[in-house]
Amino acid sequence: MSLVEVNNVTKEYANGEETIRPLDGVSLTIERGDFVSLMGASGSGKSTLLNLIAGIDLATSGEIIIADTDITRLSRGKLADWRAANIGYIFQTHNLIPVLTAYENVELPLVLLPMTAAERRKRVQIALEAVDLTSRASHYPRQMSGGQEQRVGIARAIVANPTIVVADEPTGSLDDETTEQILELLSRVNQELGMTLLMVTHDADAGARARRRIRLERGRLIENGQETSTRTLRTA
Amino acid sequence: MFPFAPYVIKSLWRHRARTILTVSGTAVALLVFCFIGSVQKGLLALTEDQQADRTLIVFQENRFCPQSSKLPQDYATTISKLSGVTEVVPMKVFTNNCRASLDSIVFQGISAEQLRVCRDLTLLSGDWSAFEKQDDAALIGQAVAGRRKLVTGDKFTIGDVSVVVQGIFESAVAAEDNLVFTHLDFLQRTRGVNEYGTVTQLEVHLADNADPEAVGAKIDAEFHSGPVATTTRTKGMFQADTVADLAELIGFVHWLGYACVGLVLSLVATTTVMAVQDRIKEHAVLQTLGVRPLGVFRLVIAESLLLSVIGGMIGVVGSMLFLSSTGLSVAAEGVTIAFRPSWDLAVQGILIAVVVGLVAGIAPGWQAAQSQIVNALKQG
Repeated sequence: MSLVEVNNVTKEYANGEETIRPLDGVSLTIERGDFVSLMGASGSGKSTLLNLIAGIDLATSGEIIIADTDITRLSRGKLADWRAANIGYIFQTHNLIPVLTAYENVELPLVLLPMTAAERRKRVQIALEAVDLTSRASHYPRQMSGGQEQRVGIARAIVANPTIVVADEPTGSLDDETTEQILELLSRVNQELGMTLLMVTHDADAGARARRRIRLERGRLIENGQETSTRTLRTA
Repeated sequence: MFPFAPYVIKSLWRHRARTILTVSGTAVALLVFCFIGSVQKGLLALTEDQQADRTLIVFQENRFCPQSSKLPQDYATTISKLSGVTEVVPMKVFTNNCRASLDSIVFQGISAEQLRVCRDLTLLSGDWSAFEKQDDAALIGQAVAGRRKLVTGDKFTIGDVSVVVQGIFESAVAAEDNLVFTHLDFLQRTRGVNEYGTVTQLEVHLADNADPEAVGAKIDAEFHSGPVATTTRTKGMFQADTVADLAELIGFVHWLGYACVGLVLSLVATTTVMAVQDRIKEHAVLQTLGVRPLGVFRLVIAESLLLSVIGGMIGVVGSMLFLSSTGLSVAAEGVTIAFRPSWDLAVQGILIAVVVGLVAGIAPGWQAAQSQIVNALKQG
């Protein structure tokens, strides 16, 4: 069974009297250890799909099964617990908590899990080493560069060893050099730590780093240049 | 919630000007609340303590200010023979100000022997024998001593009355800490007049089985056709009647106490609402990381609680220090209402701060907990 199974998922929301449907019967599978990029134009629904898989948005219909859990059936509270244990989220604008140091930001997801303080300390140190920011542990976000902040964001996303790491335009607000560093880091997270990665990007070069590249266009999923009905798409 | 304590504290410190202003406002409001509470307690203590029910005050009929009541001292002999009466204390009262005043000095002239028996005084300095031996000696309450910066051995004069301080006492009755006790005959003869044989009032102590109303009525009937008619009331009723105008004012002022609570509520609620609106995105990030909506609600409640309790504690401690250091009181017609700090008032103040903190956080906490993560993440 695939790690992620998105089955016939539709997302609708009202915009005045108009009903917007960014996703209409989308199906998708992601295997454990995959690095998948999801691309598409603005408004194509790629971020919506990523948010549904991350459990921070609710599908109108369909099911999303991640590691044997149908997250569309979970209550808000249970879904939060599930996110804490299973999702690492990398934001476009890093979204670090400004009043906390790099160390405390990375530690944040761990305080929600049953874990001793010693175990938390160990994991935070490993995560900061992974993003090469041990020396900045006591720095606040305002004392770091954009690239360093994003690396702290990545450390925060991987520190709890989640089932899947999702990244929403992780290089969208960075310069070329920093973008390259972050993409390199994400590749290492996937290859060296074996973490499953789903990355939304509008940047073709960034998308090319992934092993699988999927595009969302007008309600269709396109993989490897071939258009496929979103209702029937299954990828191995 | 405990692992998030640094986050809560740092979040409050992030907007330190706002936090300090809110805490200061809360502290001032709670200080005023406790001060008003102490005034009310002082009034209650006058009218509701046990002594107030078991002791009668005989005063000249239709007289209110102590200076105008002149009872023959030998009434005491007649009254002491009535059944149910255990002790009669003739008392001369002199005050420098008959009207309501925050710095009235009230002298009570009582025989030294009866003073020792009928008042529960603890000498903080000086000694009884020195007081007993000297005609113009005075024992002064600690509140008066504190206010006037008097120590044993000092001589002080109020109006035409000059006394030498031979002791400073603490009384079991807070209002008595604002009194100056002298010898009865000294106060009768001072000020260049000779009022020997005349007293301001008679304090009648009753046996446990005596009916105060019946004894009071009997006393008034006894002197109804005498040289000076009397009005006899329980000490509590006498004091309540004497400070009736003040009591009315204090009764009104207690609304000010409730207004202070309302002020704290609106202050803390406003700050918490602002804090939540500033951090809609931040709360969404926390929820994305796995904090439950109820967890976000608790974080907001913790912030408002902390603001309110810190401010409340500063206010309560401030009021306790202020009240205990100043020994403030208000007196009218020789009756004193003492403003004293008390533990139950402090606990009440802290509890109010806790409740207000919780209530103030409910609406913003609910708002933060109910926000949609995706929409909130899109906010600037």
